[in-house]
Amino acid sequence: MQPQPVSRPRPHTDWTGIGLAVLLSLVILVPLIVVAIWAFAEVWRYPALLPQSVGLRYWEATLARQDVWNALFLSLRLSATVTFLSALICLPAAYAFARMDFPGRQVLLLSFLATQAFPKFGLLIAVAGIFLSLGLIATFWGVVLIQLVNTLMLMIWVPVAAFQAVDRRMEEAARDAGAGPLRVFWSITLPQAGPTLFAAILLTFINTFYETEGAWLIGAPMLQTMPVLMIIFINNQMVIQYGAVLSVLLWVPSFLVLLFSRRLIGSQSFARGFGV
Amino acid sequence: MTVAGATVPARLSVQRKRPTGLLLVLFPVGLLGWLIVYPILNALVTTLTLRTDEGLVLSLDSYVAFFSDPYSLNNLALTFWTTAVCAVLLLVICLPIALYLRFSRGPLSAYVQALAIFPLFVPSVILAYALIRTLGPNGMVDILLNAAGLPKLPSPYLTPWGPVIGLVWDNIPLTVLMLTAGLGQVSDNAVEAARDAGARPRHLLLHIILPQIVNALLVALAFAVLGIFSSFTLPYVLGPASPELMGPYMQRTFADLMQPRMAITQAVITFAICAVFGAFYVRSVIRSREVR
Repeated sequence: MQPQPVSRPRPHTDWTGIGLAVLLSLVILVPLIVVAIWAFAEVWRYPALLPQSVGLRYWEATLARQDVWNALFLSLRLSATVTFLSALICLPAAYAFARMDFPGRQVLLLSFLATQAFPKFGLLIAVAGIFLSLGLIATFWGVVLIQLVNTLMLMIWVPVAAFQAVDRRMEEAARDAGAGPLRVFWSITLPQAGPTLFAAILLTFINTFYETEGAWLIGAPMLQTMPVLMIIFINNQMVIQYGAVLSVLLWVPSFLVLLFSRRLIGSQSFARGFGV
Repeated sequence: MTVAGATVPARLSVQRKRPTGLLLVLFPVGLLGWLIVYPILNALVTTLTLRTDEGLVLSLDSYVAFFSDPYSLNNLALTFWTTAVCAVLLLVICLPIALYLRFSRGPLSAYVQALAIFPLFVPSVILAYALIRTLGPNGMVDILLNAAGLPKLPSPYLTPWGPVIGLVWDNIPLTVLMLTAGLGQVSDNAVEAARDAGARPRHLLLHIILPQIVNALLVALAFAVLGIFSSFTLPYVLGPASPELMGPYMQRTFADLMQPRMAITQAVITFAICAVFGAFYVRSVIRSREVR
């Protein structure tokens, strides 16, 4: 066992890490870089390695399209509505689940897992069957409702964990010092749970903005959200650049989420929400 | 944990054993009932009964129609194949990444983690578009091969491999996160002790690490299977038109063929097939909560 103590404390070169980093960079980043190049390519004919001509012509062309603006506003309206309703409905419930005792608490909380235990698109088809008889197909509120299904789990489980993580002793101390329940909630509970709640709300908004399956099933072709418009662009593929420009445009919110929610995603509590 | 954890809830429960909590959870639970439980029950009733002159009668006709139709069976078979291939690929790709992330520190490890999580922030539609531009006909791979003087490879776009590539790409982050969380429970001491006792990396993996993360592994697989089996967007955009995966098939049956009852039958069949994974997933979440 001679070589082990020598090699272990300070490994020479992290070949595994370098290998993984290179492979992942190729697999994850190259497709995205290709899209970014396409968004600025005015002419790019096979087999040139890079576009023959680069510029913003297709940005102007894309942004001049009325359907793009309609889709953007529809998506924003949908996401805002769904996120607002979801927060309104779920956050008080999450607080109740985390802090109050009532009959059936455990069972009801676990029942939200049901949204994850079924294959999602099958579930959407079953819901669509009901919407068909209610006349909700191809309506704004039909899409709102089906997207609300997707947000329930995230908006209950993550906030429950956030409220449970608040230091109870500080709340008790504030209460002992004479603060009322509302004051305790505003001054102690909310500031501590706030960042996680904010991340959950942000993720809900972004997830809803990109939600494709429910919007396609219930809304399309009458209601064209951004992702639905993207699919239409991909399927019709007349001008490649439209899709590329939209992709780059849609990345902006993604990057914002990446910045804001890094802490939440990297933490173990996020994975715990999925049952590990 | 023991003393404080035991007394605080007891005190609270005395203070707040009121129905206020139930009132607060009423709305989301109601929504759950209306948009999940009711549709599933409704789907079962719709597909298992037939409206006749004498009222509703029990009938398996829609299931018989599905299982006697070669096209439906082909789609089901393709879905099984895609799910299995994706599950194997995800394990082969994500386990080494998770192991690396568990046992290394530093900027390189942070970079690998950031890349592995990145697909979480790329919507499927954008991914589909990016893969077409990269792997599709005359895409970036073709361009690079041509520049290197190599012959073109057959494109996976619009073949069963298209959805496989997209779905694996899309599922890497959550699989890695779940496996890393599982590996987090493997104690450094156990690994160090085994290493000091002269265990080779392979033995370390097989006898010390794997037995401790079996549950995390199975949960990650169950979660991936549930997502992949009824996936829609990626197979719809990247996959072949025929045979097709269950997701696009259900959508087409519902919206294009306008046969909601048949589409719901297909949905119930996917429920039945995925029930094992769903039940396992829920059970392990419940167990992991009880432990804490």
